[in-house]
Amino acid sequence: MPHFTIPILADSGRNTPKEPPTDTFHLSDPPYQGQLPTDLSTYRRSASTGDTAIIIDNGSFSIRAGWQTEATPRLQFPPLMARYTDRKLNRKLMFIGSEIYFDGTARGQAKSIYEPGSNIVNNWDVQEGVLDYVWLKLGIDGQQGGVDRPVVMTEPLANTTYTRKVMSEILYELYNVPAVAYGVDSLFSYNYNGGTTGLVISSAHTSTHLIPVVDKQPLLSHATRLDWGRAQCVEFLTRLLKVKYPGLITSSKVTDTQIEDLVRNHCYVSQDYREETLRMLEWAGLEDRDQLVQLPFQEKEIIQKTEEELKMAEERRREGGRRLQEQAAKMRLDKLIKKEQETEYLKDVLIRVQEAPTKKAARELLDEEEFKDEAALDRKIKEMEKTIRKQRNKDVGDLEEESKEVPAYPLLSTPDDELDEDGIRAKKAQRLLKANHDARARAKAEKEAEKERQAEVQRQDDAYRERDFESWVNDRRAERQTVVQRIRDRDRLKADLGNRKSQASQMRMKHIANLASDNPNGKKRRRGNADDDGFGADDADWGIYREIQAGRNDDDEEDEEEDLGAQLKGLETLLLRFDPQFTEQSTQEAQRDWTKSLYHAFARGPYAFDQESAKESAQFHLNVERIRVPEVIFQPSIAGVDQAGLVELVESIMMERLSGHAQRDAMLKDVFVTGGYAMFQGFEERLVTELRAVLPLEAAVKVRRARIPVLDAWRGAAGWAGTEESRGKFVSRGEWMEKGGEYLREHNLGNVFT
Amino acid sequence: MAPITTASNEETHGALLDALDLQKVPKPFRKPDWKPPQRRNKNLKQILSEAQRAQQSIITTQQNSGASTPLPPTDGTITPASLNPNPAQANNDLSRVVLEKNIAAQQTSGVVASLTANVGGLAVTPSVTYTSIAAAPSLKPKKKYCDITGLPAKYTDPKSGLFYFNAEVYKVVKNLSTTQVQEYLAARGANTVLK
Repeated sequence: MPHFTIPILADSGRNTPKEPPTDTFHLSDPPYQGQLPTDLSTYRRSASTGDTAIIIDNGSFSIRAGWQTEATPRLQFPPLMARYTDRKLNRKLMFIGSEIYFDGTARGQAKSIYEPGSNIVNNWDVQEGVLDYVWLKLGIDGQQGGVDRPVVMTEPLANTTYTRKVMSEILYELYNVPAVAYGVDSLFSYNYNGGTTGLVISSAHTSTHLIPVVDKQPLLSHATRLDWGRAQCVEFLTRLLKVKYPGLITSSKVTDTQIEDLVRNHCYVSQDYREETLRMLEWAGLEDRDQLVQLPFQEKEIIQKTEEELKMAEERRREGGRRLQEQAAKMRLDKLIKKEQETEYLKDVLIRVQEAPTKKAARELLDEEEFKDEAALDRKIKEMEKTIRKQRNKDVGDLEEESKEVPAYPLLSTPDDELDEDGIRAKKAQRLLKANHDARARAKAEKEAEKERQAEVQRQDDAYRERDFESWVNDRRAERQTVVQRIRDRDRLKADLGNRKSQASQMRMKHIANLASDNPNGKKRRRGNADDDGFGADDADWGIYREIQAGRNDDDEEDEEEDLGAQLKGLETLLLRFDPQFTEQSTQEAQRDWTKSLYHAFARGPYAFDQESAKESAQFHLNVERIRVPEVIFQPSIAGVDQAGLVELVESIMMERLSGHAQRDAMLKDVFVTGGYAMFQGFEERLVTELRAVLPLEAAVKVRRARIPVLDAWRGAAGWAGTEESRGKFVSRGEWMEKGGEYLREHNLGNVFT
Repeated sequence: MAPITTASNEETHGALLDALDLQKVPKPFRKPDWKPPQRRNKNLKQILSEAQRAQQSIITTQQNSGASTPLPPTDGTITPASLNPNPAQANNDLSRVVLEKNIAAQQTSGVVASLTANVGGLAVTPSVTYTSIAAAPSLKPKKKYCDITGLPAKYTDPKSGLFYFNAEVYKVVKNLSTTQVQEYLAARGANTVLK
């Protein structure tokens, strides 16, 4: 038989918890940029020709606007408007763009041009407001009536006719713009970056477009749109954080812009997603990969009372106690005195009764005091005297200890026939009393004996320990292990009983059925015992009810005969006291080593977590999320988007739809990436690697990025507006009025008419 | 000036408000008597459904017009002046003219023509609309990732349907409440939606 030796990995010791991180991140402030300046110079300068076009990149993340002659857009602001009536000042207010962030109310009232997750214009009032803002800041004075410069505007690929119609209406009718041209932002960007033949991948805020371009002509029938962009990333991260840290997002009111900044600052595209996630939560190096974000928090107020205050508080408490005690003592004294008086009075009555001349008089006296007869009166007096004595002893302590006399039961020894009726009753009473007394004595004796026994055991244990420390410790440790094991078994049993199909549950059902059935011993009845199966005669039989009980109530621990928790605690304290190796850490083993816990590394990083600390409870740890969120564009099923991933889309366009195309290989040599999503670290490399994997070997794949992915669309549009042939593509106002709202002049950087 | 969230008092806030407020600022470039048409804010769903309906109506009208006459035979025989076999009606028939016009339009190569889908030689529908360029669902098998931690998942919890990474994560999964389970599934798009 072959003999293998398998190397036994030594159980790695507890991982060392790391020091708290030195660089924690904080949530960003609202992105208030201050008031954007107004500049009239370019407007004035271009008044002579009236030809300088205003370029507006109408994006879902930000509007970029400026003159065509400038290098970068002068205005960049989010497409938001807040228009409301302020209650306190009682006037209408209107704010645009990032200026809404200066006020909480404005921020709450802000509306966007776009619906969340879409790049088709939805709210036209906001669009009008935004355009007003643009004209104002660019210095349009409207002296010639309306805006008197041509406008170039970007629109999404395959923009709907309705949207274009309304936009044209606003521009021509409301603002009297002389000429308008529309174009697709990604194509502008491609053109600006010198592209002629290639595949444009524009991954922006709300969507990702793929457009193959051949000789500057886009093949729009083969273009595709994937509904994933930076906005969806933000939403995804919010969801992930909400489930990871329940209650933290809602309670501390983390806003959208803050999560957006988190996505921008912390997320990156992984090169090998599967491998990297597997290694992400490993202990080694976790402090580099895990990033801690601290939310604002409030320290719990622990009022540190000074020494004096504490002492004063104590004094006051003691004072109060003393006063109460005094009051109680006084009351008791009063009662005592009253009782004594009463006893005196009763004694008096007794004397009078005894000295009463006639029985009738005696009877009357007794009746007055509501006593049955002399004996009763006598007894009462004796009782009262006893209580007085006891109380006196306790409070005042001036009478000596009453000797514990064994009460005599004289009547018990006299046989029954010698006594009369009363005597018999008295005898019964005495017997009862004696029995009581005896029982109490016995109980006391037993208690003493028990105490003795405990002390004895303890002494033996101590002796054992002194004698043979090692084995004593080992014994205790073994005991502790068994208790831990029993606790675990009990928990498992409880869990099993919850599950209907488990073995324990089925056994339980069997027992119940057995007990409830009429013939528990099967069809064969035991000879002679037709009806009585003898259940209950043996004490062990009743144990079956404990088995049946499903044990669902978790508070049962106190009722259980074996309180395993308390046992464990006792053992652990013993061990802590005497065993030098048993430390706080070892007890924690019962509570699982958090340094080995994957979930702890995931949620709390490699740092210890203090439940009570308000600071630590208001922290995010971003580790897996850093790569998980941007990964969705490659695997949309991660976030539940039912579309193919980016690489699969490229594959389907290049290999299937355009497989016979002459320029296909040329297109693959120029895969152009633009848009805000492209700014994630590692995006291009990842794209190259994945494309090489799915495309044929001989196809040389080259991926390049726009110079400034966010601005190049605007710059491309500005550049295009400067060319001669672009002017031919502008639709003038007269043409628009004549040919209708849906008229569109197509060009190679724009949409086609549908 | 800093936004109101940081140190600012009533005065500075009021001054900033006045500075930023655009309501009172004159906007002479606007047409003064402009009234926006009613109900022009449409969300994407509405726009697309309206476009869809418009498209349908065009198709039905095209089917009844002369534009759907078939192509004439090109086997060398002399084509009649009119496609209508009945000579009495042939003179008044415009079907040939319409057909030739359509062929001419088709042959002018342009961006539009290359896009329009040809059905029997006629332009029917443009194939680049907002809905038509949406990406198709993936044909590749989906990889499973743990819903709790994001690591690759090999196991599925039969009770809740969550994917999980290992036994330790399973302990967490077991103790989740229904709302939490639904939230995890919602992040993946697999939650149950009651309509």
